[in-house]
Amino acid sequence: MSAADLLSTGRIIKCVVWDLDNTLWQGVAVEDPNGAVPSPDQSILDIMSELEKRGIVNSVASRNDPVMLERLLADPVLHGKFIVPQVSWDPKSTSIRKIAAHLNIGLDALAFVDDSAFERAEVSYMLPEVVVLAPEEMAAAIGTLAFNPGQLTAEGERRAEMYRHEEQRKEAEAGFAGTRADFLRWCDMRLTITPATEADLPRIIELTERTHQLNSTGRRYSADEVKERVGAPRWLVPVARLRDRFGDYGTIGAAIVDTQAPWPPDVWLAEIVMLSCRVEGRGIPAALLRWIMGRAQDAGMKSLRAVYRVNEQNLPVRLLFKQMGFTKLAGDDFVTVARDLSQPLPAYPDWLHISTPEASVTG
Amino acid sequence: MSANPDDSDIAGQVRQLLATVLELDPAQAQMLADDMPLFGGGLSLDSLTGLELLAGIETVFGVDIAADDLNLDSLETIGTLIGYLKKATG
Repeated sequence: MSAADLLSTGRIIKCVVWDLDNTLWQGVAVEDPNGAVPSPDQSILDIMSELEKRGIVNSVASRNDPVMLERLLADPVLHGKFIVPQVSWDPKSTSIRKIAAHLNIGLDALAFVDDSAFERAEVSYMLPEVVVLAPEEMAAAIGTLAFNPGQLTAEGERRAEMYRHEEQRKEAEAGFAGTRADFLRWCDMRLTITPATEADLPRIIELTERTHQLNSTGRRYSADEVKERVGAPRWLVPVARLRDRFGDYGTIGAAIVDTQAPWPPDVWLAEIVMLSCRVEGRGIPAALLRWIMGRAQDAGMKSLRAVYRVNEQNLPVRLLFKQMGFTKLAGDDFVTVARDLSQPLPAYPDWLHISTPEASVTG
Repeated sequence: MSANPDDSDIAGQVRQLLATVLELDPAQAQMLADDMPLFGGGLSLDSLTGLELLAGIETVFGVDIAADDLNLDSLETIGTLIGYLKKATG
């Protein structure tokens, strides 16, 4: 597929990976006798900062002496502009895979920009999901829908900053002596779960579009459908905000629960549960589901039901429902599960401080 | 790594993998009973450690539980997981 075809497939680009020599700047950096980093092209810097404003982060894949990485990180203009830049002798497809894994995003959410036809071909061949562009195609590409995420939320505008927090967190974890649970306690995570208000609408819609691994159904809602649910007493729409010692992650999860589902009485139905994959592995999905279970129990419900679709991407969703004691009622591709609320509810993870409208709980 | 480990190997390797992903003492992990639940009140796997366990199983046994056991029925207890792997590799 051509780049134009790839960009018209309804995808959302979350990260642009740049080549350095003759793309980000003119010339070949290591040939500079003083070891200086060449001045980047202003037109490219402008595109990078526009991308960042749209919540799209910038990274680097360069086949170069790894010493270039230090120079890049120390450069006064480029310092902090790239998330997990890769400078090594590895094939660029390998670097791009690493970037996607580090950001925990799909390869189809990446665009790669390189002046070398060879490197573009290598990436296209090895990673056909990635949108591959020549530098001169970039100006037109950022006008396409794939680079325009629609209404921008506070989370979107601060996304690059949040990825930087995440990098700091991962570095701290790698250097942490102790168990993972000790590390998570040290992170001082504060999760606030509240029913959504109108102000949360854009972010909820964004979560329906941007979450995959931790999105139970993948259903897309119109703005009106979300608005209707946020406003009506029939629906419970919790949103979860996370903050830790590294910074504020904003709203990282939400759910839509039908409290008057048209089947057996005393049952609530979680129509969708979705969380940003950046928070995976910290007990946040479990805490959100636990909160909903507690609300249902308080309302006298006997059971909480949920639906999820089964696909390759959302194994974390299947594990989450398993973890929380849900069992299958029916379905194959689209499964209905239920949790008996007369059975004791699991405790919140002990490293999370949970604030809810009712009370503040420490694990 | 054998593609066809014998039964006692499977039981030992499953406990070894659990020790690794849950940061348990390996010797104690070998003592865990077959009826120990993997989630909830048992070993308290969560979505992250669950992913790590499944990735480890795929590496060690070449069995892709996420794709082959869509409802993850094999992940009830240590015993159900061992039983599933015996069948899948047998």
